[in-house]
Amino acid sequence: MKIIKDLFKYHLSFRFGAIILLLIFLLATLSFFSPYEATKRRVVPKNEAPSFDYIFGTTSLGQDVFWILTFAIRNTLIIAGLAVLIGRSIAVILGSFSGYVGGTTDRVLQSIVDSFIVIPRLPLLILISFVLKGELNFLHLALILGFLDIAWPSKRYRSQILSLREQEFTYTAVFSGMNTFKVILKEHFPFFIPYLLADAVSGFLWAIGIEITLAVLGLCDLTTPTIGTMIYWGNYYQALLMQRLWVLAAPVITSIFIVVAFYLISTSLSEYLDPRTRLKRLGTGG
Amino acid sequence: MNLLKSYFLPRLSQWLITILVGVTVTFILPRLLPTDPVERTLSTLSSLQTMDPRAVESLKEALEDLYGLGGSPFEQYINYWKRLIRGDLGPSMSAFPTPVIEIIGAGLPWTVGLLISTIFISWILGIILGTLAGYLPKNLWCQIMDKIFISIYPIPYYILALILVMSFCYHFQVFPLVGGASGKPEISWSYLSSILWHSFLPATSLIVGSTAFRFIMAKALTSTIIASDYVHYAETAGLSRWRIVLFYVIRNTLLPQATDLGLSIGAIFSGTVITEVVFSYPGIGYSLYMGLLQADFNLILGITVFSIVGIATAALLVDLSYPLLDPRVRYK
Amino acid sequence: MQNRSKFIVLLGLVGINIILLTACKDQTNTTKTTSSSKSQLPVDLPRQDILVVDQIFRYSVVENFNLWMPGIPSPTKQGLIMDSLWYIDQETGQQINSLSTASPRYNKDFTQMTVKLRSGVYWSDGVEFTADDLVFTVNNLKSNPGMLWSTELELFVKEVKKVDNYTVIFELKDSNPRFHYQFTIKYNGVWMQPKHIWEDVEDPMTFKFNPPVSLGAYEYADSDPSGYWELFKRRQDWERTTPGILTGKPGPPYIMSVFYGDSGRKAMAITRHELDMVQNVDYEAFQAILKKTPTARSWYKEFPWAYPNEQSARYFGFNLGSETVLSNKDVRWALTLALDIVDLQTEYIGGVARVTAIPHPASPPQMELYHTPLEPWLKELQIEIEEGIFYHPYDDAVPKKIAAWARKQGHSIPSGAEELRLLFGTGWWKHDPEIAERLLLKNGFTRNRNGEWLTPDGELWKIKMIVAPDEVEIYRLAIGAQDQWADFGLKLEIETLQRDPYYNRNLMGEFEAISSWSNASTGDATRDKWQAIFGLHSQFYTPIGKSTATTGSTNTLRVKSKEMDRIIDELDQIHPEDDRVVELGREFMKLWVENMFSIITISFKNFTTVDQYYWTGFPTNENPFVQPLYWFGGGRFTFQNVAPAAGNTPKQ
Repeated sequence: MKIIKDLFKYHLSFRFGAIILLLIFLLATLSFFSPYEATKRRVVPKNEAPSFDYIFGTTSLGQDVFWILTFAIRNTLIIAGLAVLIGRSIAVILGSFSGYVGGTTDRVLQSIVDSFIVIPRLPLLILISFVLKGELNFLHLALILGFLDIAWPSKRYRSQILSLREQEFTYTAVFSGMNTFKVILKEHFPFFIPYLLADAVSGFLWAIGIEITLAVLGLCDLTTPTIGTMIYWGNYYQALLMQRLWVLAAPVITSIFIVVAFYLISTSLSEYLDPRTRLKRLGTGG
Repeated sequence: MNLLKSYFLPRLSQWLITILVGVTVTFILPRLLPTDPVERTLSTLSSLQTMDPRAVESLKEALEDLYGLGGSPFEQYINYWKRLIRGDLGPSMSAFPTPVIEIIGAGLPWTVGLLISTIFISWILGIILGTLAGYLPKNLWCQIMDKIFISIYPIPYYILALILVMSFCYHFQVFPLVGGASGKPEISWSYLSSILWHSFLPATSLIVGSTAFRFIMAKALTSTIIASDYVHYAETAGLSRWRIVLFYVIRNTLLPQATDLGLSIGAIFSGTVITEVVFSYPGIGYSLYMGLLQADFNLILGITVFSIVGIATAALLVDLSYPLLDPRVRYK
Repeated sequence: MQNRSKFIVLLGLVGINIILLTACKDQTNTTKTTSSSKSQLPVDLPRQDILVVDQIFRYSVVENFNLWMPGIPSPTKQGLIMDSLWYIDQETGQQINSLSTASPRYNKDFTQMTVKLRSGVYWSDGVEFTADDLVFTVNNLKSNPGMLWSTELELFVKEVKKVDNYTVIFELKDSNPRFHYQFTIKYNGVWMQPKHIWEDVEDPMTFKFNPPVSLGAYEYADSDPSGYWELFKRRQDWERTTPGILTGKPGPPYIMSVFYGDSGRKAMAITRHELDMVQNVDYEAFQAILKKTPTARSWYKEFPWAYPNEQSARYFGFNLGSETVLSNKDVRWALTLALDIVDLQTEYIGGVARVTAIPHPASPPQMELYHTPLEPWLKELQIEIEEGIFYHPYDDAVPKKIAAWARKQGHSIPSGAEELRLLFGTGWWKHDPEIAERLLLKNGFTRNRNGEWLTPDGELWKIKMIVAPDEVEIYRLAIGAQDQWADFGLKLEIETLQRDPYYNRNLMGEFEAISSWSNASTGDATRDKWQAIFGLHSQFYTPIGKSTATTGSTNTLRVKSKEMDRIIDELDQIHPEDDRVVELGREFMKLWVENMFSIITISFKNFTTVDQYYWTGFPTNENPFVQPLYWFGGGRFTFQNVAPAAGNTPKQ
């Protein structure tokens, strides 16, 4: 708690990120108070440009973009958040374990990971969505995305660990009698965190991106509002050709804000956590 | 000799196992689809023309025969390997009797050309800019660059591509709407320049996003490196900034970046459906997508085999080259 | 306007591009290109020599013209380079005698068919088309199962004999008054093979027939290895082909089919004047075309614009293959009466289609044959809503109501009843939720406190409908039904699927409800309903879980009806020219309507759009002399009539 207070006080980008994120969460929470059901159509006039009545405009089906957006943010945060949580936590454990232990264990683990990696993900997803036949609701999607996004990151973490393992301080620590677990936790993790956070943001974005891709291809449940399906429907009713940019602007700008907020927070957090950059910052009169 | 035995051989066998498992999985998965190639062909036909129902049953049998779908799945599996080893990917079923290799041959050069060049360009650009931004966090230009990239990065690829098409094919009718080149394929300036011209928008769309990604990665990696002792020493020793960036910082972030590069190059064989669809650009991605939708077992496998071998080989090469890139990693 | 731009700029993180879009919003390119402007088309030919048509999909196979193999894409090109004995013009319903000079002559018991062939028709390599080619084609296909029409010909033909160079006799295995349908082209049919080429082919299945020896007015010139386009060149001797002979017109020097992508991209291509003829675009894209391209139009010059005569209709179907609440026809009638067709056709479809209450397309010739004669019966039709209480569900005021809506939108609409029927169809079912309610109550349904319906078992009533958003009308009608049934207290859950899984689920019968088309409501532009309904016969009945595609059934809804079998059996035995054919067709439609096997909503409509910037001579509502469906086999006659627009002088 104190950390967050500190950060909020002294770190500009953290403050920015936190405020944006707070707003985003606020929007997501607002979905519970929406005056309209998420799927209800013809509740407001069609194709209205943003105005005081409809701050983000209305869709071709007579929906208020603002309220649809609140649902979309909620669902997308759930999908992407869950996917990142599942994917990253397994990947970190797998990657660092494999990289650190090495030897036969590493090789066996890498064989498994590689077998996953070689099968291209998007085709695999398309196949899964086809095989599941309409059972692909957004929670299932989150789970599948999470599991599909283990192999690549774990390989990156492994190479990161491989590189760290060879650093001088590792040897110093090992020679001074630290056990493996402690070495990883105390010596490697601080180095690891900036990378992990940046990677988590990219995983988040990957999940949103793949959700949009699946929506664009018409392969996921298009009736649940998400950032992806909002873009799909905006495009379906030719928002660009018909100059109804607001329909697309809302989800696109939101997804930018979400990712930027996470990014700002992740960089400031990692800076804060990393003892060396912190020292440096203090040293150079930050 | 020892090195060969203890390092190369295990990795080589790992490579083989990976391919074996990958192919097996892609052999099994499409067969779980709720449809099969014969059913697909028949349903396409019935949507196009009135078929006499009395004749459908025998057509179905004839097609099963033609597509090589007789026999148990296990027999089909064994046969597939036999053919694969001979380099025969079999006929496409949705486009029977066209050999799968022909379909791949038509699309692959476009995909490989587009993706290899964009991957390299964005990799180099991203690393250089990202490292600079990480190394000089106080520099104004670096900060502006940082803000731009971080705002571009989250734009969904599909939207970015659409905006490019709308802007430069519709509002400003600068670039062509369809295809990869114009004119007859030949080694001439006009043909080659038309390839560049046609690929400009798709390439831009791909480069923008991945440069931003690489930039952010490189910046994050750099920020940990610059705190290292050796950078400190270098700075204290009064080495020039360029030297430090090139030889100390970039060199030390190269390992994970090279892994990524290798893997993304290996992954190009499955193509990019969205790029092809939005820009009407030729390539292998759309064929694979249609193959999946039409349960074209041979086509799915054919393209995926390329992808599997591609990624596995890339991973192998990356593994083998670790010691070259990072002298601190020793063969163990 | 001002506000919007400001708002966008404020939000503008994607700013640069959005500003670009807004800034150059009205910049259109309207200067007509001079004689040899270089276009951005992928071929090095003067733009004014090429008629560019919309290729309806990206080909996965190129440079293979063996259109006798399943899997080789055929649209457009089958019309340009292939030929067969007869065509049915999909607009006028007339038979066109192509390679044959007259209708087929059958013997009394329909076991023998005699065909007279046209003389003076030549293959593109200079050889004359004769009876030898026809006889060879039939025998060649018969001996290669796996090729198209092979199993049909094997099933029906005992022997095919050449009498002289222009006369052929088919000896049939069984009585078959519709054998000539194999050679009568709507989209596709038995195409002729040049004997002098194919007789030397060792494996006809893998033979690519490239370059194809053409029997049309065009020959193959070039194509994109990636399947985006194909180019055809007018034959020097186009006057020695049936399109040339029958129309006497040359057609454009080149015809090129290009796949541009989705509706939005097609609209862009039209605006760039790089596409002259489009199969279909969605409503919004069409509006964008109208706004930006003054030379572009569809079938009608004004509202309702779209081409309304393609031979099929849309429906909401229910899976009748297993026993559910929907197996009860009263329930299906209740669902029908809970729909408001005027709202559906206007708010969701844009008012641009004809409604149809019977399973048949409402094109003018067909309305004359079926819709109008059946109208007195429809008005008389009663359904029993409670013991002994009857109700007339038909409403012939629907076209008027749609017209009223259209006038409110600012369109000028004629007021004559006949004109309105031609624009919006004859009539549909009343919107009467109260009657629907009584029908449900009669069958044990109840409402809960929130007004939602409970099934007779006391469970909340939900229907799950599969839909492919790609199929624009299918989706828009479905969401309309969802909204209207929601007001009625019924929850319709829509499951969106990509096109291919959607087709698959439809054929397998894996759905509770479906928004779809075709099925019993297809037409062939002829008076004969046989092709659309023969596959509904119970001998082909396919249980749920097995694809109807593999059994030849067209009964995806799994309808069971003895009465229907009787109609089909009788129809099957009589010649299509027999007057009883129309009577049986009407009987079938009555049966379908009484049981409400599926809720037929609107006839097909296509925004088949043409740009008259470079070319003219396209069929329109003012001059409907030929089908605009150029991608069908009969498109060969459509193309032949296309001529340079004023100011466009082709170089060739």
